[in-house]
Amino acid sequence: MALDPKSHWRQYLAAQKQLPKVEFDMRVAIAGSMTVEPLEPYLGAHLISKKFKPCIAVAPFNQLRQICHDYKQVLGRNDLDAIALLWRVEDLFPDILAACLDNPAPVEDLLRELKELAGSVGRLRKSFNGTLIVSTPPYPLLPGFELLDIRQALEGMAVFSAVLQFWTQEIARLERVRILDLHGLMLSLGTKHAHDSRKWLLYRQPYTETFWQEIGRLLGRILAAEKISPKKCIALDLDNTLWGGIIGEDGLQGIQLGDDFPGKAYRDFQQTLVCLKKKGVLLAVASKNNPEDVYEVFDKHDAMILSRKDFAALEIHWDSKVESIRRVAKKLNIGLDSIIFVDDSAKEIGEISERLPDVTCVVVPEELAELSDLFAETDFFDFAEITDEDRRRTEMMAADSARLEIQEAMSEEEFRKSLNLKIEVFAAQKQHLARVTQLINKTNQFNLTTVRRTQDEVEELVGSKDALVLGMDIKDKYGDYGLVGVTILKKKAKSCVIDTLLMSCRVLGRGAEETLIAKLAEAAKSLGCDEIRGRYIATSKNAMVKDFYRHFNFQHEPQTDEWFVRITEAPRTPENIDAILLL
Amino acid sequence: MVDSLIQVFADVLEIDPAVLNDDSSPDNVQEWDSLSAMKLVAAIEEKFNVRLSTREIMKMSTIGRARKALQNKNVPV
Repeated sequence: MALDPKSHWRQYLAAQKQLPKVEFDMRVAIAGSMTVEPLEPYLGAHLISKKFKPCIAVAPFNQLRQICHDYKQVLGRNDLDAIALLWRVEDLFPDILAACLDNPAPVEDLLRELKELAGSVGRLRKSFNGTLIVSTPPYPLLPGFELLDIRQALEGMAVFSAVLQFWTQEIARLERVRILDLHGLMLSLGTKHAHDSRKWLLYRQPYTETFWQEIGRLLGRILAAEKISPKKCIALDLDNTLWGGIIGEDGLQGIQLGDDFPGKAYRDFQQTLVCLKKKGVLLAVASKNNPEDVYEVFDKHDAMILSRKDFAALEIHWDSKVESIRRVAKKLNIGLDSIIFVDDSAKEIGEISERLPDVTCVVVPEELAELSDLFAETDFFDFAEITDEDRRRTEMMAADSARLEIQEAMSEEEFRKSLNLKIEVFAAQKQHLARVTQLINKTNQFNLTTVRRTQDEVEELVGSKDALVLGMDIKDKYGDYGLVGVTILKKKAKSCVIDTLLMSCRVLGRGAEETLIAKLAEAAKSLGCDEIRGRYIATSKNAMVKDFYRHFNFQHEPQTDEWFVRITEAPRTPENIDAILLL
Repeated sequence: MVDSLIQVFADVLEIDPAVLNDDSSPDNVQEWDSLSAMKLVAAIEEKFNVRLSTREIMKMSTIGRARKALQNKNVPV
C-alpha cells in the first residue's frame, strides 16, 4: 500500500536524521500571510515522488514583507533554491478590503497597497537568486464576501476581480516570478471544500487538509518544472483516439467526429492537442492504416480540427508501432523518454511499454468524457517558461523536413552550398536569457560539459567582465532555426576557457560546429587571449561530442585532462557560410 | 503494542511514545505547542475518521481528555 503523504514525509525526515551529512537538492522556504505549516508534508512528499531530496523551511507567521526586505535574516539561511510566498488579501489588508464594499468603494486604495506589495516582491527577486514563487490571492473569506449572496457579483466579486487582475499583471511584469494560482486551485476544488472555519478560528489556518494537499502538489510541480524537462512529443494513434471508429472500415462518413456524442469527445481532444502544440509540444501520428484513407479524413472531414501540417511526423503504414515510434524519435531528434504514446489498444500500449520502456504510454480512457482532460493532472507539459522557439517548433520541424528532401536529392557538398547558411554568434543580452537558460538545462547530447544553471546565474555571467555568454543564431533559405547554440567562455590570463558549449542537434553537420569554433577564436582574441581551452565531461548522454576537440585541432594535455588550441590554429569558417561575430 | 492514540501523539510530536500517557498535556510535554495542537487535530481526525467540533478540540487538554472525547463519539480508543 502506498504510504499517505504525511507518513511518507515523517519517515523521510527520520531517515535524513540518521545520515551523517545530507546533500539536499531542493531547499525550499514557504511563507504565508496565514499559517502554512500543514503544507510542508504534502509538498515534501510530492518532491520526494519526483526524486528530489527536499529540505523545507517554514517561515514565521505573516512575515512576507520582512522576507521581501531581507530574506536571509528572516529565514536564517542563504542556501535556498526556492522561496514560495502564499498570501490572502483579507490577511494583509483586512480593513481596506472591507471598506471596498462601501459606496463609493475605495478600490484604488487597495490597488495602491497591492502595487507596493508587488514592489516588495520585485526587490526580493533582485536580491534572491533562486526560484521565486508568489501566489494569487484566493477569493476572500470575509463577512460581506459571501458567494451565496444574490448581489455578490456586483459587490465582493467585483472588488476581488479587480484585485486579482491587477495583482497578476503586476507580478507578470516582474521577470521570472512564478505564479502559484491559489485562487484557481480553490476554484477547482470549491471554496467549501477548501476552507475549514474551525481551524481558522482556532489556529489562523484557513484550509482543509485536502486543499493543502492540492497546494502541495501544484507548488511541487512548479518547483519541479524548473529542473525537469517536459515531454516534447505526443505520438498519437488515429482510429478510436483522434476520432471514433475505424476509417478503413467505417469510411469518411462513418467515423465519429463532430458536435454530438461520441464525436464531440474526440473533437474536444483534438482541441486540447492544438493547445499543447501552441506551447511547443510536437504532435506525431503512429497509426496502422492506409495513408490515403487517413489523408482523406485530414483533408476532407469537416469536423477535423487538426490538419496534416499540425503534425511534425506522420507514421501511417502497417509496420509495427515500435518501429513508428523509433522513427518519430529519429526524425524529430528527440529521446524516447520525451515521447508520450496515446492509443486505445491495450495490445499496442503493452508492446510499446515492453519494448520501448522509456516511452510514456497513455491509454485512451474507457470513459470518453475524460478524454479531453487526458493530461490535465499530469506534469508532462509543465513548462517553466515558453519561448518563441517553443511556439514555432512545429513550423521549424517542417522546414527541417523540406531540407531533408532536398538533401537526399543532392550531394552533401551541393546541399551545404544550396542552404545559404547564415550564422550569427553574439554576446547574449537580457532578452536572450530565457532561451539560453532553457538550452543550458535541456541540452543533453551535444553538450561538452553539461553544466546546468539557473537564469539568475546566467544573468550574472552576462554581466561579468571575465566571462562571455555567447548565443548562436542560424538561418538558411528554408527558415530560421532561432537561437540554437550557447557557449560560455571564461577568461583566465591568456587562456579562454570553455565553461559551456552546446548546440541543438537539429543544426549539426552543416558546418555550424566549425563556424562556432572559428568565431570563438575571434572572441578569444578580442578578450586578449591567445588560446582556447576546454574539457569534456562525460555523461550518459553526451558521447557524441567525445572527439569534438580533437576534430577541431585541439591538443590534449594529459596532466590537466584539458584540450587546447592556439587561436591561430583554430579552424576557419567554411567558405559557403556567411558568419559574423557580434560582441 | 503501543496504544493507537498515544502513537498518533508520538508521531506528530516526534517523541518516544514511552514518555506519553493519559496525563500528558502541553504543560508537561515541551513539544506540544499550539502548532503541534493544530497538527494533532488533523492527525486524530484522519486516523480515527471523525470530525471534532471547536469545543471538543478546546477540551482536549490532555491525552486522557482526548481519549474521552473520542470515546464519546464511539471511537474505540
